[in-house]
This record gives sequence, structure tokens and C-alpha cells, in this order.
Amino acid sequence: MVDYDPALIGKVFEITEPVTVTPEMIRNFCEALGETNPLYTDEQAAKNGPYGGIVAPPAFAITFRNGRHFFQNIPRFGRSGFDAGKDVEFVSPIRPGDQVTLNSSVKEIYEKTGRSGSMVFVVVRSTLKNQRGEVVAHIDHRFMHRA
Amino acid sequence: MSNLATIDKFENVQVGAPIGPEQIFLSKEQARRYARACGLDAPRFTDDEGARKEGLPGMIVPGNMSLGLLTKLVTDWVGQSGARIVRIGTTYRVLVQPDHTISLQGFVTHIYPEERACEIDLWIENEDGERMVTGTATVQFPK
Amino acid sequence: MPTILDLHSHSEASEDSRAPVEAYLNWIRLRRQQLPLDGIVLTEHRQWNPSSDYRALEDKYQIMVLKAAEVETDYGHMLVFGVNDDIASRFDFANVYLPAQELIDEVARMGGIVVPCHPGRPNVGLFEHYQRKPALDNVIAVEGLNGGSRKGENERSAELIAKFGYKATGGSDSHLVSLIGLCATRFEAEIKTIEDLVRELKTGNYEPVDFRPKRPQVRRAEPVEESEHRG
Repeated sequence: MVDYDPALIGKVFEITEPVTVTPEMIRNFCEALGETNPLYTDEQAAKNGPYGGIVAPPAFAITFRNGRHFFQNIPRFGRSGFDAGKDVEFVSPIRPGDQVTLNSSVKEIYEKTGRSGSMVFVVVRSTLKNQRGEVVAHIDHRFMHRA
Repeated sequence: MSNLATIDKFENVQVGAPIGPEQIFLSKEQARRYARACGLDAPRFTDDEGARKEGLPGMIVPGNMSLGLLTKLVTDWVGQSGARIVRIGTTYRVLVQPDHTISLQGFVTHIYPEERACEIDLWIENEDGERMVTGTATVQFPK
Repeated sequence: MPTILDLHSHSEASEDSRAPVEAYLNWIRLRRQQLPLDGIVLTEHRQWNPSSDYRALEDKYQIMVLKAAEVETDYGHMLVFGVNDDIASRFDFANVYLPAQELIDEVARMGGIVVPCHPGRPNVGLFEHYQRKPALDNVIAVEGLNGGSRKGENERSAELIAKFGYKATGGSDSHLVSLIGLCATRFEAEIKTIEDLVRELKTGNYEPVDFRPKRPQVRRAEPVEESEHRG
């Protein structure tokens, strides 16, 4: 069975510096995804929409990077690490001018076997907040390490 | 926005209703554009040779891009209904490589009448019908 | 009277599934023509919950819900049918390296049956393990048709079945509601309980059945950049 220090679970290991969201970042993200929804792309149409102005597409929330030392702080088991998937809870919209921080902790570690052989999954829970302290999103990243 | 069917109100949501399918040719350039937009500078996301040096068969599409495309499929479906996607979960089963046609699709699988919400199965299929990315999403309609 | 059961499915109790059991049953009810199932078997990963009770849902939807488990062994993944207190206390289902031969023999002795699943799958299927280790004794059936299999995997399972004379089952291996029942097992006998199922798996006649729809041909779509520049 996978061996790790239980004290790791739940311990916040990183809080990033705030990242300011610019209209250009939202525009580039929309173009990259082929996104044309006026709520995210048309200032005038978005003003008359439910958010009163342009907001980022929901998936923009997962573009915020963890800090430079993030991967040094995640427990590693065996060789190579892959992004195995994510669970994202979208709580509040992200607007141009918002300053977003992430705090991250290890939520869960478990072992299983599959097509890739023996694998250890490390689930990192990141909570994104804006400058008003409002939660923007919760993201569970599942990192897969091959034993 | 896409030309696919949209939902106008919660009362018209039905279990079994399809979301999409939407077929797109996911080019290397589009994948690189996404990687640039998100500050993903690992060689695996930008060129074949760089990816091979990492032990991969060639350039791959970032998992986040797959999640982004599936999220867009759902937000396109909710259209002007006022509904919003409140959750999405994805599992990356097979590497998605660019310069292929992918199909994004889903089904409404469950309705929560009290909450005015529904659950959706989602996936991305390759040209052989293999599901490369699977997931589920929850959509909340206005109360 | 024949019985058709999806012998391999995962509900939200499995960490990699978000499918509520009720959603599975509602889906089957709405798609009766395409999915003529009498029931499903929940085979949650690496766990056994003796107290989960689906009788109210069975009554509501008139679809059987039986319980089993999918465990991980030194010969790959296996489905354990007929789990009881003796079996659950004898083996730690959370252990991903259970001894397969011991599991097969002891479960049989204690009233259940072990069916290796997706035997054609790399690393966790019998086919590959048999390339480098002795074949297991006392295997009666393996999962010949698995709905989550990739190209070639079900074919490798068929090869194994032909070589060793195993009986074959079918199951969807669904982790999504919309995949339930697409592969299943058709039993000649009537099955109403887990005891009936174990008896039939051991000595009865059955075969995998495939309810997956035919795929339409996928044509290559236009590059996004080209279509954006048209008027």
C-alpha cells in the first residue's frame, strides 16, 4: 500500500501571488477555444447580460498556474507525473481587473492499478479567490504517478 | 456560438436529450494558441520533437484545453436560458493529439427538479469512436 | 425465463464514477427498447458496503440491483460475486495486490465466484499476465465483452477464452450514466437474487450481449481558422 505522511492531507502548502486578469487574457483564451459567446467577447452585449459586463468563460478558472515551487511541494511517488483529470466547481464569475489567488493543499492520496500499471494518485485541492476574498472556484487536480 | 441545439428553459430539459455532437478539427496551431494563452510552455504542448523527447508519441493537446472545450459545449447548449454550468469533472483517458477530428458530445442524464438543475455526461471521441476524455457536468437553471 | 444483466458497473460509490444508481435505473427505463435489461450489478472498486440497500429503487423502477465488487490482484482486476461477511473479512478489498489464486479458491469455498474482468486489457487483464506467469486454476468464466475496452482488448479476451475454454460474460464497466447496459450477459435461467447469479455463473448457460449502437462515420471537419474567415 502507498506510504505517506498522513499529516500531509489538508495542509495548505502554497498560496500564490495575485494574478490580475486583463481583457487581453480573456480575449486570448476565447480565441484559443473558438469561443464567441457575447457574454465573454462583446462588451456591449455583455453589459445587457446577467453579469453587467464581460466575464471570462468558466474554464478560464483552470488557467491560473500554481506557483513555481508547486510541483516540489506535491508528494511524488515513483516516476513521471501526468494530469489525470480535474473536478472544477465554478462559484463566481471572473471579471477583467480581478486579482486571483490560489491556495492549494493535498486533499487525498490513493493507489490503484490500471492500463498504465500501478499508479498513485495525488489529488490537490486549489481554491481560487478574488481580491474581495470571494471564492471564484474550487479545483481538484488529479495527478497520476506511475510506480 | 455553435450552431447546435440549445435549451431555452428548465422545463424543457429531458433525460436522454443529446448535447452536441460537435465535430471539430483540432489543429496544432489551435493547440499551440491555447498553450500560449495559458502560459503552458512545456515542449509536449508545442511541437512533436519536443514531445517525443518527453517520451510521448508526438505533440499533445493540454488536458485543460479538453476541459475548456467540453465546458464550452455545455455553455453553448445553455445559450440564452440564463442557466450556468456550476461544476465539471473530467478524466483524461487517452492522450489527445492535434491534427485530428474530434467529436464533443453528451447526454442529459439526470434532473434535480427541486434544485432546477441537471446532470450531463460528456466526452470527447476520436475518429475511431474511442473516448479520450470523459466527464460529467452540473448545470443550474435560474430559480 | 432468460435474464439479461449488466454484470459490471460503477456508481458514485466508486471514486471514478459520478453515476447515481437511480440515474442508471431511470436511463434503462427510458431506453427499454435499446436496453432490454432485467437488472444491473454494481461492482464498486476496491470496496464492499454490506449496508447499501437498493430495494426501494428496485421497486420503483422494476429493475434488479445486485451488488458485487471489483478488486485488484496480482493477475489483474477481478469481479467478486456473492460477497458475504466471510469473504469480506477474509480479504481486504482495498489491497491492490490481492493474491488471485487464493482469492478464486477461497471465494468459491465461501459461496461466491470470482470472474476476471477485461482480461484483454494491458497490465490489469489476464491475457498479459498469462504471457509471463502460469495460468490460474479453477477459473470458470472471464469477462469476454467489456464496454470500456479499447481497440483490440475484447479481441484478446476472445483469444484467451478460446484457448482456455472459459465461459464468457459481458458488462458495460460503466462509470457514466449513459453507458449503462451497453454490454451485458444473457442468462438462459431466471435470476432473481445474488445466489441465483452465483449459481448460474458457476454452472449455468450464458453469453455476452452487445447493445452498443453502430457509430456513424466521422468525417474530417474543417480547420477552425479557415471557416472563421468566411463571411
